[in-house]
Amino acid sequence: MAHSHEALLRSPYVWHPICAREAWHLKQEIDAGAVFVAGGTLLRTQWEAGLVTFPAHLIDLSGIADMTGIGRSDEDGRGWRIGALATLAECRSHPGLAADFPLVKEAARVIAAPAVRNLATIGGNVLSRTGDMATALLALDAELLWLNDAGTHSEPLSAWLDREREGISGAPGLLLAILPSAFLGVSMISKTRRFCAFHKAGRREAFIPPVVNVALNVAFDEGGAVADIRIAAGGGTMIPARLAAAEALTLGRVPDAALLAALHAAVNEEYAPKPDPFVGEAYRRMTAANLVAAALWKAGSDARASGEEGEPCC
Amino acid sequence: MIERAPISADPSAKLNINVNGREAVLDVPPSKRLLHVLREDLGLTGTKRSCEMGRCGACMVLVDGKAVNSCLAMAYQCEGKSVTTIEGLSEGGLTPVQQCFLEEGGYQCGYCTPGMVVSVTAMLANDPSPSDADIEEALSGNLCRCTGYGGIWRAVKKAIELKKEQTG
Repeated sequence: MAHSHEALLRSPYVWHPICAREAWHLKQEIDAGAVFVAGGTLLRTQWEAGLVTFPAHLIDLSGIADMTGIGRSDEDGRGWRIGALATLAECRSHPGLAADFPLVKEAARVIAAPAVRNLATIGGNVLSRTGDMATALLALDAELLWLNDAGTHSEPLSAWLDREREGISGAPGLLLAILPSAFLGVSMISKTRRFCAFHKAGRREAFIPPVVNVALNVAFDEGGAVADIRIAAGGGTMIPARLAAAEALTLGRVPDAALLAALHAAVNEEYAPKPDPFVGEAYRRMTAANLVAAALWKAGSDARASGEEGEPCC
Repeated sequence: MIERAPISADPSAKLNINVNGREAVLDVPPSKRLLHVLREDLGLTGTKRSCEMGRCGACMVLVDGKAVNSCLAMAYQCEGKSVTTIEGLSEGGLTPVQQCFLEEGGYQCGYCTPGMVVSVTAMLANDPSPSDADIEEALSGNLCRCTGYGGIWRAVKKAIELKKEQTG
């Protein structure tokens, strides 16, 4: 079926740059009328819902090879680079990534459904600011690799999210890749055992934006005390954040009943969700506190069990 | 790998796509949904229109063998790719998955069935022996408002057994 001239005129221009710099320059030239598109799954729903105007120009990123793939990145092989165009399905199924960063695999598992994950990218999920992956990556001290007029530079995901939270809006460039931290410092200490957990509570079990999501990344010393910890939480329209006070409370302590009660109270105090007409703030706070306390209790139990068996678990 | 001009934005560019094994060159806007390309331009109405936001799975098709919500995919994203619809799956007669849906009452009104069949087909192509958790995950993007999923679940389990028998 041939389409009318009018229909073609209503259609946006779709540009197909083949390198990141080309894409960035194109965006600068067209400016506000252009939108970068990778999987486009979230953008499509926003356009259809009228939340954002359908742009006059789409900059299709799919042909930029440097932004794809998942692999080890540095000389000692411990660092990882996740291309911003890596699909959530790839993040879900990549065996090496899952071994080093089960948090990424688990977060990918609970985002949308498999068919959406075949299109949707990790870069798109992070840049949405409220996606599950941002919470998981916060607990991994991930960095974002940007490209802009000054060249490429990386910055902590937490720094970018802080700016977004303060209303200094907008990405500082084209997101090229995500660099999760391979190991936190103490994890190289012999017999330190590391555990992680990602939990999402929603209005139904699958395929739903989170009411609350939490990510825990914790290492225990030989005595079962917390040697290092990252706790991140998000959900709803809240931009996810690390819970620094709750983290500090646990350091050097064994997760017994007293610590878990104190942690529960600390998360309830520190977590700052945004209510909506369906789910209130108090409910979200209690849910986050329950999930974090339960996750640390389970991690502590698993650490003791693995210690008794004499095998570090990571 | 699709060969593309370094930078181009010709809105009148044709879409080159393989649908159910047949090459097609279509004069469609680049941002048109694949769903509408299939239904309106190619007359393949087995792919169903429902939520149009990637939630229900009624519009599921295979793109290069992977399940994709055709309501989310834009025409330009399918340039040079192979799309298989429910019509393509059953060109040689009912597939074992479809036969199992028939035998186990895996449908009532039937509107979600093409998408369900496509998702199950994609799952079994990727993993012929999925666990219950794998099945739940694979079908988490397909909604049925009639069956309560009991018949669908039985159909999927039967299809798995059938595949095991066929592969020895």
